[in-house]
Amino acid sequence: MAETTTVSPEQEGTAAGTSGAPDASEGTASGAPDAQGAPDATTDIVPDGEGAEAVGDPSAPQQVVPISGEAPALVGISGGPTGSSIIDPVNRIEGHLRIDMEVADGIVSDVWVSGGLFRGMELVLQDRRPTDAVYISQRICGVCPVSHAHASCIAAEKSFGITLPTSARIIRNIIEGAQFLHSHILWFYNLAALDYVNPLNALSADITETVKLANAAGTTEADFANLAKRLAAFAENGQLSLFSGNWFDSKELDGTPAYKLPPELDLIATAHYIEALEMQATASEISGLIGGKMPHIMTSLPGGTTWVPTEEKLDDLLFRAKKLQAWVANTMLPDTLAIASAYLAADGAAGDFFLGQTAGNYIAWGVFDDPSFEPSARYLPGGVWSFNEPAYQQVQDWDETLITESTIHSFYDESADDGTPINPRDGITAPLFRDEYIVANGQHPAPGARYTWDKAPRYDGLPFEAGGLSRLLVAYNRGVPEIVEGIDSLLAALGVPGNLAVLNSTLGRTGARNVETKYIADKMVEWTEELIEAIKGGDTSTFVETTNHTGEGAGLWEAPRGALYHYMKVKDDRIEKYQIIIPSTWNISPRDGNNVYGPMEQSLLGIPIEDVEKPIHALRSVHSFDPCVACAVHVVEPKTGREFSTVTSPWGVK
Amino acid sequence: MTKEEACASRFDAMLAERGVTRRRFLEFCGAIAVTLGLSEALAPSIHQAIAQTVIGKAEGALTPVVWLELASCTGCTESFAQVDTPDIATVVLELISLTYSETLSAGAGFSLEEAKEQTIQNGGYIAVIEGALMEGWDGNALRIANEKGTEIVAHTCSNALAVVCLGSCAVDGGWQAAVPNPGGAIGIEPFLRKALAAGEFSYVGGEGDLPPIINIPTCPANPEHLVAILVDVLLLGRLPDLNEYHMPSLIFGEYIHDNCPRRGHFENGEFVYQFGSEEEKKGYCLYAMGCKGPQTKTNCPVVRWNRRVSWCVESGAPCVGCAQANPNKEGFNWVDLNSPFLNRFKNLRVGDIIVQPAALAATVGAVVVVALVVHGFGMKATGRTKGGADFELERAWDQKHPDQAIGAAAAAAQAAKVQGVENAAGAEPDADATAPTDAAATTDATAPTTDATAPTESTPTDTNSTEDSPTEGGEE
Repeated sequence: MAETTTVSPEQEGTAAGTSGAPDASEGTASGAPDAQGAPDATTDIVPDGEGAEAVGDPSAPQQVVPISGEAPALVGISGGPTGSSIIDPVNRIEGHLRIDMEVADGIVSDVWVSGGLFRGMELVLQDRRPTDAVYISQRICGVCPVSHAHASCIAAEKSFGITLPTSARIIRNIIEGAQFLHSHILWFYNLAALDYVNPLNALSADITETVKLANAAGTTEADFANLAKRLAAFAENGQLSLFSGNWFDSKELDGTPAYKLPPELDLIATAHYIEALEMQATASEISGLIGGKMPHIMTSLPGGTTWVPTEEKLDDLLFRAKKLQAWVANTMLPDTLAIASAYLAADGAAGDFFLGQTAGNYIAWGVFDDPSFEPSARYLPGGVWSFNEPAYQQVQDWDETLITESTIHSFYDESADDGTPINPRDGITAPLFRDEYIVANGQHPAPGARYTWDKAPRYDGLPFEAGGLSRLLVAYNRGVPEIVEGIDSLLAALGVPGNLAVLNSTLGRTGARNVETKYIADKMVEWTEELIEAIKGGDTSTFVETTNHTGEGAGLWEAPRGALYHYMKVKDDRIEKYQIIIPSTWNISPRDGNNVYGPMEQSLLGIPIEDVEKPIHALRSVHSFDPCVACAVHVVEPKTGREFSTVTSPWGVK
Repeated sequence: MTKEEACASRFDAMLAERGVTRRRFLEFCGAIAVTLGLSEALAPSIHQAIAQTVIGKAEGALTPVVWLELASCTGCTESFAQVDTPDIATVVLELISLTYSETLSAGAGFSLEEAKEQTIQNGGYIAVIEGALMEGWDGNALRIANEKGTEIVAHTCSNALAVVCLGSCAVDGGWQAAVPNPGGAIGIEPFLRKALAAGEFSYVGGEGDLPPIINIPTCPANPEHLVAILVDVLLLGRLPDLNEYHMPSLIFGEYIHDNCPRRGHFENGEFVYQFGSEEEKKGYCLYAMGCKGPQTKTNCPVVRWNRRVSWCVESGAPCVGCAQANPNKEGFNWVDLNSPFLNRFKNLRVGDIIVQPAALAATVGAVVVVALVVHGFGMKATGRTKGGADFELERAWDQKHPDQAIGAAAAAAQAAKVQGVENAAGAEPDADATAPTDAAATTDATAPTTDATAPTESTPTDTNSTEDSPTEGGEE
C-alpha cells in the first residue's frame, strides 16, 4: 500500500477521527485508544521497509489505530469508495449481527455494531429452580452450552456454599476443555478460514507441489488428489452450495486480490477444513460421553456431576484427548503459521496483521479450576490487563463490583432505565424496540440513537475485550509457563519476537486462540490422567447434596468467546433474580454514555474497504472476535415492574 | 456489451440448453412478481437478478437448501455439524446445495441475501428452519438483513418443496416460548397457519395450502434425524410418514422408556433417589429423579447422540423431555411442560399460579415410585396394558378452564406486552398482577396433594386428558 501514503488534510481529519469517538463534540473518553500511551513496538515486521518509511515519515497522517505506535498508516485514497457499507447478516458466526459502516475514501470512518435478536432468557428463568437454570440457560448458546451450564452451577454453588469434590472438578474441566477444543477448531477452520482460504482456487493446485508444500510447512498430508477430484466434480456440477454469494473475488484498495494463498495452500487448507469437521466432532464426542449429548449437556449440576466415570468411559476419553492433542500440534498450529506467513509475505505491514486494533483492554474471569478454586489460580487464570491503562498495565485480580452495564444506546425503555451504568446485581432493564433503528439503505442510526439489543458492559468504566486473546494476555502476564512459551514462539515465528503489541489485531486474536487450543489440548490429556489417578486413589465422590436452597452468588467463568457471568438470587430453591453477561456482550458493545465505542466498533474504525458490498477486511476483523450474538442479548426482570408488562406473568408469584 | 448483458446472454444460452425460451422464463418471472405482490413491470429486473447468479447453476445434481436461523442458539447447526452418516462435507458438496446458511456460508451480507433470493425464485428447494420465530414488537424482536423474521419466513416458505422445522424451537418456540415468552416466540407451522388465515401467506405450490411441513423436535435436533429426512426426500423422492404433529412417525413413535437400557431397573423397582449415591453408581433407573423418558416420544436410546457415543440417560442424567413439542397447541413447549426437570411432576398450576413446594417435591418421587410398584403401575407404563402410561401432560384443571390454560396464559402475557409497548410511558400493570396472585395462592395448599396422587390413582380412562400431547397422540 505504498501508493496510499499521501493524504489531503480533509482525509487526514477523517482518518484521525477514528482514533476515538469520530465526532469530537461527542467527547473522547478514557476508553479511546491513546497514541501517546502505546508501548514500544518494533519495525522489524516490515520485510521490505516500505511500511517503515511511512511510519518514520513525520508528514504521515496520524495513525488510524495508534495502539502500536509503529503501525503503518491506513489512509484513504482518492477514488476509494465513499458511502455506506453494511454487512447484514454477518455470516459464519453464532447469531444475528449487523455491521453498519460509514466509509470515506475507502476507509471506515464510523461504525455501528448491532445485535438483531431479543429472546429474554432471564425472564424465562425467573421463579424456576437453580437446577432448571442449568438446563435452560445453556440453551442461550449451542456453541458454548457447557460454559453456561458451569457458570450457572458455580453461581448456585456460591449461593448455597457448596465446594465441589475433586473428581467432579476434574470432570468439569475435561468436558469444558472438550467444548473449547470443539469451538476453537470449528471456529478456525470452518468459520474464520473462509475469509482467507478459497477452496475453489484449490482446483488449479498441483498435487505434487501441494505435498511438497505441506512437508515444507510442517503440516500433515492428506489425500490431496482425491479431494481435488471431489472439488472438480463439484465444480463440474456447477451449483455453488455453501460457496454461494462468496467474497472470493474481493480486492484490496490497490486492486490486488484479497485472497492471497497459492492454490496449493488453498488445497491443503481445504483438506484440513474437512479434517477439522471430524476433529471438532471428536471433541464433542468427549462432551457427549460425559454430558449425554452435545450441544446442551445434561450431567453438570450444582454440587457436581451425575456422570459416573467407569473404566470403559475413561479409556474412551483418553484416546480421544490424545488424538486431538496430536492433531492440534501437527496440523492446526502449522496451518496457522503457514496461512499467516503467506498473508504477511503478500501484504507486509499493510495487511491484516495490523488491522482490527482495539483500545487494548483485556478481561478474563478465568477458567478450569485447580484444587484451590481461586480464579487467579485457574489453569487459564482470571485477571484484568491493559496495554495502555496505567491502572491495569500490571495484571490485576478482577473485582465483580466494578462491572457495570449501560443501555443508553440499546433498545430499552428510558422511562425505567435512564442508561446510568449500573452493576448487574442491581440491573433494571426494560426491553423496548425502537423504529429509529430501521433506517433506509445508505443512512445510519442518528446521533444518540438506540441501535442494538446489546447492552454496553464496562469494567471500571472502560470497555474491555473478552476472548482467547484476553485470556492469553492475562495468563502471559501472570507467567503461566506454557502460555509464555506459546506466545513467544508464535511472535518469533511471525518475525516479531517479543512484540506483544502486534497481538492487538485481527491476526493476533486469531493466532492467540490457536495457541490456546494447543494449551488446552495438552491439558486435556493431563486432566484425564489426573482423573484416573484420583479414582485409583479411591476418590470416587462426584456429587455433594446440599440442604441449603437460599442465597445469592455469581459464577464468573469463561466461554470459548470470553468472560462469562451468571448471577442468581435464590430463595427456597426458587430463583428471584437471574442475570447474565455474555463474552460477546463485551465485544459487540455499543457506545456507552460517554460515547466510547465498544471493542468491535473500535476495531473496525480505519479498516480499508474496497467494495462496500464486500468489505472483506471488516468481516475478517469481526470474525476474529468469534462473536456469539444470540447470547449477547438479554434482559433482567424489571425491578420496578411498571415498564414492561410481560412480567405480570404466572411466574410473578413469589 | 456491459457485464450485465454478457451475463444475461450466457444465462439465456443456459436456458436454451434446457429448452426454456427467454419469453417463457420472463413469464415465470412475472408469476413470481405477482406472487410477491410486485408489479409485472419488475419482471425484467428479476430476470436480470437471476441471470447474475451468485449460486451457480440453478439446477444440477444437488438439491438446493435454504437454512434459516431465527431465534436460535445455533445448536441445531452445531449438532448437524457432528453428523457422520454421511459427514457434513459430503452433505454440502455431494448431496445438497446449501445456498444459504448464516453459520456455514462463505458469503455474507448482500451477496448472501442475494443467494437466498435467487434460490427462492428458482424454486425446488428445501427450507430448513432452525430456531423460533419472534412476534414481539410486531416481529421486530428478530431482524435480519433489515427485515423482520416473520417476513423472511413467509417469503422463504412460499416456494419451498418442503419446510423442515428443525429442533423444538422451530416446532413450537421451545424454551423461548416458555412463560412469560418475553419475545413472543412461536413455531413455524403455527405461524404459517396464522399467516395463511390472515391472508399474509400464500404458497406457490397451492392456493390456500401450507407447504409440506416436517417437524423434528428435540433440543437440539439430532442430526441423524435430519439426515434420515433428507435421505427420504432426496433419494426416495417422498416425504416420510408423518403423525398428526407432522413429525416422522418412525422417529417419534415410541417412548424413550420403551427402549431405555435402564428399563430393567425400573421393572425391578431399583431407582436412584440421590445423585452421588450408590444407586447412581449402579446405573439404576432415574425415574425418581424426574426422568421424563416415560412421557417423551423419541428414539434417543436407539439412535443416541454425538456419533452414537452416549445419550442423556446413559450418561446419568434424567431425560428432560426436550422432544415434547406441540405445534398444534400453544404453551406446550418442553420447558413449561417439564420443569422443574428433576422432579417427578411439573410445577402445579391452578390457572395463573404455579407452585411446587420444596418440601413436597423432595419426597414426592420416592412416594410415587413406591406407589407405582405397589399398584402395578410399572406394568401399565410398559404399554403391555391398554392405555399406555398415565402421565398427565395437560392438567385436568386446564381442560376445564381453557381460558386460563398454559397456552392462554402465554397468549395473555403476549397481549399484555403488546399493550405495554403501546402504553410504554404510563402503564402500571403490576398493581394488578399481585392481587390475583395472592388470592389464588391460598388455593394452592390443596392442589399439591391432589396432583401428587393423581398418577398413582389414574385409570386408563384418564388418558383422555392427554389427547393433545405429542407424546400420547399417536397411541390410538
